[in-house]
Amino acid sequence: MRGSLKNIVSDVGLGVMFLGRILYTAKHSPCKRKDIFEQTWRVTQQGAVTTALAGFFVGAVMTVQFTMQVKGFGALGFLGGISTSATIREIGPLLIAFMLSGKIGAFTSAELGTMRVTEQIDAIKCLGANPIQEIVLPRFIGIVISSFFLLAIGMLMSIVGGLILGVLFSGISPEEYMRHVPTVVSWPSISLGLFKSFVFSLLIASVCTFKGYTAFGGAKGVGRAVINTAVGTMVGIVIADWLTSVVSEAVGVIIFY
Amino acid sequence: MIEFVNFKKNFGNKEILKGLTFKVNKGEIVFILGMSGTGKSVLLKNIVGLMRPTSGQLFVAGEDISGFKESQYYEVRKKCGMVLQSPALFESFTVFENIAFGLRRNSSFDEAEIDRRVKESLRLVQLKGVEHKWPQELSFGMQKRVSLARTLAVVPKILLFDEPTTGLDPVTTNVINKLIFDLSRELNTTSVVVSHDISCALDIADRIIVLDGGQIVAQGSPKELVKSTIPLVKDFLMEVR
Repeated sequence: MRGSLKNIVSDVGLGVMFLGRILYTAKHSPCKRKDIFEQTWRVTQQGAVTTALAGFFVGAVMTVQFTMQVKGFGALGFLGGISTSATIREIGPLLIAFMLSGKIGAFTSAELGTMRVTEQIDAIKCLGANPIQEIVLPRFIGIVISSFFLLAIGMLMSIVGGLILGVLFSGISPEEYMRHVPTVVSWPSISLGLFKSFVFSLLIASVCTFKGYTAFGGAKGVGRAVINTAVGTMVGIVIADWLTSVVSEAVGVIIFY
Repeated sequence: MIEFVNFKKNFGNKEILKGLTFKVNKGEIVFILGMSGTGKSVLLKNIVGLMRPTSGQLFVAGEDISGFKESQYYEVRKKCGMVLQSPALFESFTVFENIAFGLRRNSSFDEAEIDRRVKESLRLVQLKGVEHKWPQELSFGMQKRVSLARTLAVVPKILLFDEPTTGLDPVTTNVINKLIFDLSRELNTTSVVVSHDISCALDIADRIIVLDGGQIVAQGSPKELVKSTIPLVKDFLMEVR
């Protein structure tokens, strides 16, 4: 127990140091814009369909769940507003984060891990280049930027899913469903969603690049890196979700009240 | 050009290299022979900073690099080209892009000059018409030759080869060995070759160093080594008799 706790603390420390190296490289020797664009496009393309699908059903589930609650209060007209607000504030960013973690995080970790064990990272160094600048930084920035595109896709699809299910399941008209969306979905809700999405994507990008880059021990090592990425990002996202909620609530109280 | 002084490298508590002291002169071809796991590759990786020494000194072009930080190694790596044990080609790049990688990062050559150098490097390793192929489309032997061409393209002053001919057919092996010899004689390139190929070492090496248990057990010119009475050296020589 004590040993594994020590390992976790050491791992987090090394991860933070690795993030420091990435940020230092970003400041002093930035990568090419073309590489960032390529990575952003790749990540968005890879995650778009699953995010859209998941977004659609999350919106649908939220609507079904809220229907039971709001019907009791005779406030069915608020269904669209409440459902969309909850998705944008909480479920949306969380959903996108889990999607990114499972698909892009694991992929990036495996890709970098394979480059490490097949000596491609050593080859980059031997050719007088900086591997952090060449292969880590574009992937890191690509994941962070694409998370916003995926968030937008997920949000849009969750509204569509909520709307369709609202019409089919709750017997509400599309106009009525959408009527309170602008009043309930406020800028603080959208800002909170964006902030959470940014924090989660930073976390995923840091963990998957760190685990992949430091992989060792052949195919088994790559597998281990992928598993550690999945576990690390999932646990990290849940903790970061709680932290961002606490922080944003405190900030929200100061700014809006 | 390269000098190891009481050079030690440990992995945890295990001593891999136990206080090596030797020198590689400019333009010299030095072969390092030894059984697997004796630290031959570790020795090369320390020269380019892929590994760091535990203690001792390591001079490259007159500069002690043993205490260098990662950022200080970039200049050392521009002087030293290393051909790794595996081809280590970048899978998302074509053969052309792989070879042009070092040139694009560390030179101010225009595209026409890069194109010329890439083709010249491929010609040196006897590969034609593969520029636009992906590494996955090539055989292992061809990948190794592309890896060699990638290192040669930047024309380094020091060449480090980690088993350059392993997995290659005899004809290509001879081509690579001749290339190492020609580069040394024509361009005065210093070469350190880690290999198991004793016959090649006897043919082209200026000096052969035999490692065993992390220590130098024999060193000298091929002629001197042939007369050696050391059991390990005799075992190696059995292969060519």
